[in-house]
Amino acid sequence: MLVLALVPAGFAQTSNHAQTKTVSSKQHSKPVAAQALPAPMKTFGVKSAPINMEVFSDYQCPACRAFFENTLRYMITDYVASGKVYLVHRDFPLPMHPYSMDAARWANAAARIGRFETVDAALFDNQDKWTKDGSMEQYISAALGPADFKRVQKIVSGCLTQTSGSTAAAQTAHSCDLDPFIQQDVALGKQVPVNSTPTIVITYKGQRYPPMSGIFTWPIMKQYLDSLMAQ
Amino acid sequence: MTNSRSIGKILLLLGRLALAGIFLVAAYAKLKPQAPVPWSMGSMRVSLSMFAMQVDSYQLLPPSLVSPAAHFLPPFELFIGLWLLSGIALRYAGLLTSALLAVFFGVMVRSYFLGLEINCGCFGPGERLGPLTLLRDGSLLALALAVTIGAFLIHRRRAADSVPANTAQAAVS
Repeated sequence: MLVLALVPAGFAQTSNHAQTKTVSSKQHSKPVAAQALPAPMKTFGVKSAPINMEVFSDYQCPACRAFFENTLRYMITDYVASGKVYLVHRDFPLPMHPYSMDAARWANAAARIGRFETVDAALFDNQDKWTKDGSMEQYISAALGPADFKRVQKIVSGCLTQTSGSTAAAQTAHSCDLDPFIQQDVALGKQVPVNSTPTIVITYKGQRYPPMSGIFTWPIMKQYLDSLMAQ
Repeated sequence: MTNSRSIGKILLLLGRLALAGIFLVAAYAKLKPQAPVPWSMGSMRVSLSMFAMQVDSYQLLPPSLVSPAAHFLPPFELFIGLWLLSGIALRYAGLLTSALLAVFFGVMVRSYFLGLEINCGCFGPGERLGPLTLLRDGSLLALALAVTIGAFLIHRRRAADSVPANTAQAAVS
């Protein structure tokens, strides 16, 4: 009897709590991207995809690399390619990583000429090599090819804080017009709030789901995305 | 003597109800819709899939076992919460609760010392695994152990009290 009496009471209390939460979460129901000022450049797929996934990532973070290589890569070839997911990369360079800000600058510069996907992959694929001394330039150059690399190098020149190898462009940053894009991503991350990288934020049918941090395997994340679309 | 027994029983009741409440809240937090949508089978499937991602982030189970574990745990927590609330065979409910909390605590300590920056997943998504979550789960484990020991002691005392009475009755007849 006690059980029967207490259980509905407990549920009534918790559902009131849930309603209170609902009101506050409605204020944040728009995708984080929608609150950004300029149009996002670091995206994969079509904007009209039912699922919007924002990934807050740091190019020097090993967990971000593992997440990219073991999960996002599969998702890009599968659910992004088939128009189910619109993937938005958000830079969240952590202060403890000396080269992640420069890596983000290269990626943003590449995004300016429509080659973000290539540089994003090159940075993660070679993370274990360039994180030793910050020499990411050679891997970006190899991935982009000479013509596009020159264009990206021109954009990024004057922005870099780390001297990497024979980089002519590697100087102390003063007025870098790429940085506001990165700072904007960081500010969005702090709103989420992002406490660690990688963190994903999913929006489906205008409803934003709670952020999740860590490495998730593709089969499990696929199940989650399927359950969202079947809802 | 009677006074200390009554205090012991009250403490046991409070501990049992606290654990029951915590388990019921934990199950509810995992099953409830994670976005402002109405309750439905679909919303529960989404919540359980989301919990599966949290289980997955602990990097302990192979993908084939992650989903079954994630679908089993919240209903099992609900069952334990109701069992503790009922007070039936409390010493066994306490044992099971302690064992489950010991597993949770062990997994969390391992993940924390491996440096995994993940969500705890204890009361739904959004809570980061850290020293505070470890302290909380450690305290819950201590409480569950106290309830279990208390339940065993009270059961033994009751058994001891009933033996002389039975013996006396047998002697009279």
